[in-house]
Amino acid sequence: MDTATINKTSTLYKMLNQFELGNNISECLTCGACNSRCTWFNGEGGPLPRQIIRMAALGLDEQLVNSNMLWDCLLCNRCTQGCPMGISMDKVVRKARSLAIADDTIPKDIKIGIKNRIELGDVNALTTEEFVETVEWVSEEFVDEVDDPKAEIPHDIKGTKLLYLPNPRELGINLLHLTAMAKLFYATKETWTLSAHHTDVTNWGYFVGKDDIAKKMVLMVVEPAEALGVETLVLSECGHGYHALKYLMEDIIGRKPKFEVVSMPELIVRYAKKGVLKFDPGVHPYKIAYHDPCNIARKSGGYDAPRELLSMVCEGVVELIPNREDGVCCGGGGGILQDSTSKNKRMITGKPKADQMTATGLPNLATACLSCHRQLSELSNHYKLGIKVDTVASLASESLIL
Amino acid sequence: MKKTTPNILILGGGVAGMAAAQTFSDQDVAVHLVERESALGGHAAMWACMATDTCQNCGACLSIEMADQVQKQENVISHLDTIVETINKAKQGYKVILENKETFNVEKIIMATGFSLFNPVQINSLHYDEYKNVITTAELNTILQKETLSGYFNGKPDPKIAFIQCVGSRNREQGKDFCSQVCCKISMRHANKLTHLFPESDITLFYMDLQIIGKEVRPLFKTLSKNIALVQGVPAEILEDTETNMLTIVAEDKETQSRVSKAFDLIVLSVGMQPSPTLETTAGILGLKPNSWGFFNTDQAVLAEDVIIAGCANGPKDILSSKQDGRIAAAKVIEDLGLNTNNKLNIAVFGQGTQADQAAEIISSKGYSTYLFGPGTSLSKDTPVTFLNESNIISISGTAGNFSLYYESGNEKKYLTCAAIIAAFEPEQSLNRLENISNEFLSLDAFSQMIEKKPDTCPDNSVILLDYFGPEFKSFARLALKTSVKAKALGKNISIIMNKTLVHGALGQRLYDTARQQGVDFFRFETREDLKFEDSGNGFLIKLRETTLPSIELSLNCDCLVLPPSLTPAEGFKDAAALLRLPLDREGFLQSANTRHRLTRSSRKGIFFAGTCHDEIDKNDLDNEINDILSALSTESFELPDVDTGVEINQGMCAQCLTCIRVCPHSAIVMNKKNRPQIVANACFSCHLCVSNCPAYAIESKELTNDQIAQKVEKDKMVILACERSAALAAGSLTLPDHITLIPIPCACRISSDVILKALLNGASKVIISGCHEENCRSMEGSNIADASVRQVLSIPGMDASKVAWEPIAANETKKFERIISKARG
Repeated sequence: MDTATINKTSTLYKMLNQFELGNNISECLTCGACNSRCTWFNGEGGPLPRQIIRMAALGLDEQLVNSNMLWDCLLCNRCTQGCPMGISMDKVVRKARSLAIADDTIPKDIKIGIKNRIELGDVNALTTEEFVETVEWVSEEFVDEVDDPKAEIPHDIKGTKLLYLPNPRELGINLLHLTAMAKLFYATKETWTLSAHHTDVTNWGYFVGKDDIAKKMVLMVVEPAEALGVETLVLSECGHGYHALKYLMEDIIGRKPKFEVVSMPELIVRYAKKGVLKFDPGVHPYKIAYHDPCNIARKSGGYDAPRELLSMVCEGVVELIPNREDGVCCGGGGGILQDSTSKNKRMITGKPKADQMTATGLPNLATACLSCHRQLSELSNHYKLGIKVDTVASLASESLIL
Repeated sequence: MKKTTPNILILGGGVAGMAAAQTFSDQDVAVHLVERESALGGHAAMWACMATDTCQNCGACLSIEMADQVQKQENVISHLDTIVETINKAKQGYKVILENKETFNVEKIIMATGFSLFNPVQINSLHYDEYKNVITTAELNTILQKETLSGYFNGKPDPKIAFIQCVGSRNREQGKDFCSQVCCKISMRHANKLTHLFPESDITLFYMDLQIIGKEVRPLFKTLSKNIALVQGVPAEILEDTETNMLTIVAEDKETQSRVSKAFDLIVLSVGMQPSPTLETTAGILGLKPNSWGFFNTDQAVLAEDVIIAGCANGPKDILSSKQDGRIAAAKVIEDLGLNTNNKLNIAVFGQGTQADQAAEIISSKGYSTYLFGPGTSLSKDTPVTFLNESNIISISGTAGNFSLYYESGNEKKYLTCAAIIAAFEPEQSLNRLENISNEFLSLDAFSQMIEKKPDTCPDNSVILLDYFGPEFKSFARLALKTSVKAKALGKNISIIMNKTLVHGALGQRLYDTARQQGVDFFRFETREDLKFEDSGNGFLIKLRETTLPSIELSLNCDCLVLPPSLTPAEGFKDAAALLRLPLDREGFLQSANTRHRLTRSSRKGIFFAGTCHDEIDKNDLDNEINDILSALSTESFELPDVDTGVEINQGMCAQCLTCIRVCPHSAIVMNKKNRPQIVANACFSCHLCVSNCPAYAIESKELTNDQIAQKVEKDKMVILACERSAALAAGSLTLPDHITLIPIPCACRISSDVILKALLNGASKVIISGCHEENCRSMEGSNIADASVRQVLSIPGMDASKVAWEPIAANETKKFERIISKARG
């Protein structure tokens, strides 16, 4: 049996007890509710959430860092949803990950991604030149696609109404998604732009719990956007990006940004309600299941826009059970998806999700996060579910009536 | 004989409202009682009987009997099926207008509007509204009452059943940072009942901190810990396995240190208490403001002068406490209105400690001549109490209003006549020790004194160890919490090692929350094997396998180890019980657990219990107990009125064998000056045990002689001799088939083998005796006596075993009554 001495002067204990009432882990009632709600369910391995809180509350920093729980946790916050004392697992685990003694536990890919982002502005190390080249090439394709010579994918234009912050995947392996989004922007008839200094919606500083890095990454988004003088920052479909840039923005940078932040589905719904965007649901003549990305739904309260949008572009939305604040993580949250060695584990963490997907009996499922999208697609392949997974905004783009 | 025109209003006809109404009625004070529902009884009347082989002391059946009695009171004007429309402040008191436009004026209002149950629909993850087999404790009660539980198990003899505690309680995020107090007991009784109904069932009770409090609960816990799985940690999510249709819960598995999925046929949500849905409106009308919980049990609540809150409107309470609260409220009104005409009586208080002192002080302050058989150490000299210290009571004779205490003081033997006796002895408090440890411990009391009086001597690191020497008593758990908060305020490190935190009581949860916020560390252990203690310098090293971290052995150093004492029945309790002619409970404390007499009373009128000699109480509970006793002293008659007991001794036939004096469970038969047994009307409970036991047939019942009973028997019909406090009430609403004759009797102990044989000789096709469950008989032994009489008859050679039966049926077991008569017909 491991032995440990309680240490109420530990770094983690001191950090966590700076939080206000309700985030103070010392208040844990040890009621055990969290243990029954881990997104791993009864899958093999994985954390016992209460042990994380207790280790932190007793200053057992080393034991926590050396346990698998630190990185097995998907930061989905499902366990502490409904915690009687309002403790947030996400905060506790990220603080523990931020400890200096935890540096060696950070997955290699995440370390590299962070380095790339800080040094080059993009997790995938996309340079400004490469960005411009890519966007201009996609823009040419886009002209053909919408059959309008004046159409373009603009970048670095000052004073536009909208600024789109893409997911790195949209400038890499999923360029079609960028075209699809461009089509929607084009249809809003608003001025819009991309920014060469502003290519990445992700924030891996959030995954590793390092506030300074997270803040730097947020400012890398905020400052260029403010320099361009845009009215609205439109986030590509990204869970933790949404959580960091919309829900936590003010906490992280300590001020309100000089622009409004919306997600792509939120923007589309807004223009659809104004009657500017019109959709043909007949393009998708089926009902579709919707997966709530934890960071958007439970952790930021963004439940409605994706559902509203899906009901405009398909025959209707079918809920997974459970859903919304009780939604089950795709199994790829908390940085695990960004670790290329995690595939086997992700198929365990995603098993409950795969079961949920199967239970719908539907061949189509949508989500509003590109990370969830990738994990769900992999689950569908791995478990041979035969379910096609799409993002909400891309379905909207397909249904768009120009 | 009404003393007043009705100028008191009771809002709510639940247990507290009915208890208040009864108290007024006993004093001939007329009252208005307004109840929203069409019948009196409140929630308790809908509760199922928890009896297994014996009564489990929940008190639910009492509400049905109370409703029956209150309805018969001329002094109580019941307004059923109606609510108050408006109440306006009048020149004196209030003008009340009911929904049906009936209008009257009152001077005082007792608000006993009760509670409602938390609706688990509010917690999505429990899927209460979706899954049929996720039910609440209230629904389980209904199901048990209707005897339809097996329908939930698809015919399985070995259903898997889970109870989840604290649903809607102890949750600050929901604004419910209080313990509902009753749910642990309810679930424990439910689980016990289910093990009885389905012996092969597999039951798990998931709890946060099991509130093992009270003389009736501690033995129940002992039984349950052998029969069901008691698991710390409350699951917050229930899902349905679509293939098996079983309900699943994910829980921690201690052995493998992983999360495992457990399947259940039925899951019972132990829902908490919240204010009545109409409370806000009612409070608004009366100008009251409840606290943030919606109750009136903290200083934050705003009260009005002429309104007294009683029962669960005051905060969560069990049935017996609600009853007590209602009586106290009524006594207060009686006192305020100057309606108390009782002579100031002599009261004797027994006890050597502060609890007896407190009782004596308060009783004497109300003008009673108080005699304390104890040193009264904590009382000041000028307290108007007569101290009879170092007096040894030799015997107690007489009855309520006229007890005669024969005692020895020095070399003198003396008599004291008193109206009532309050037993407030002290239990044995023994200091605990740990084996193989030589460093000095500190007792919890000494530690708390040190923090109060010599804070500068408080050590830097202290540990308080609770639950190690058996389930902790509430008062010590509370003292440990309070002391730890104070130690923390002095800047000291303090930890509490416990098995469970007793958060019972209005502010228990908030105190526990405060302690954790201030940085008091709490460690939970499951069994004693989880803890090891060693000397370490002048202090201690504790090695602990914490429940939440079972794979790590935690080391904890402290300078000071604090142990609470153990409370056990004092050696003198047996003698005291013999002196009072009253039984001890299962653990050897004073007073039986019989709910007919608890919380403070006994089967003998005028003999009361207060303090830890009879139950687990804190200071607040003791105040309530003393107030309850005061309410009895001020509202009950202690004179010798000319009441008809329904029984009389035919002195011509009396053989002076003294059997009646020996058997009377109320000690209401005394030897009179002519050396003849005499029934003291005022102390008699009319149980008729003396009638059935008199070998000379000298004690006669005026209306229930053996012959009179036998005459009611019709040929070829089944006879049910039903206790009027239980079985007859259970049968109350039923239309009985023609072949059944129901004869109400005052108590099952009225029945002797003679009565049964006479009934059979008169042609009864079958004789069923039915009364309270064992331990619930107001006259203590009625069920045992009836059972024994039945067995005596059955032992007659040639007797057909199907002809006679004993069936315990509580007032709330109508379905069981129906089942028994329909089975008997077949």
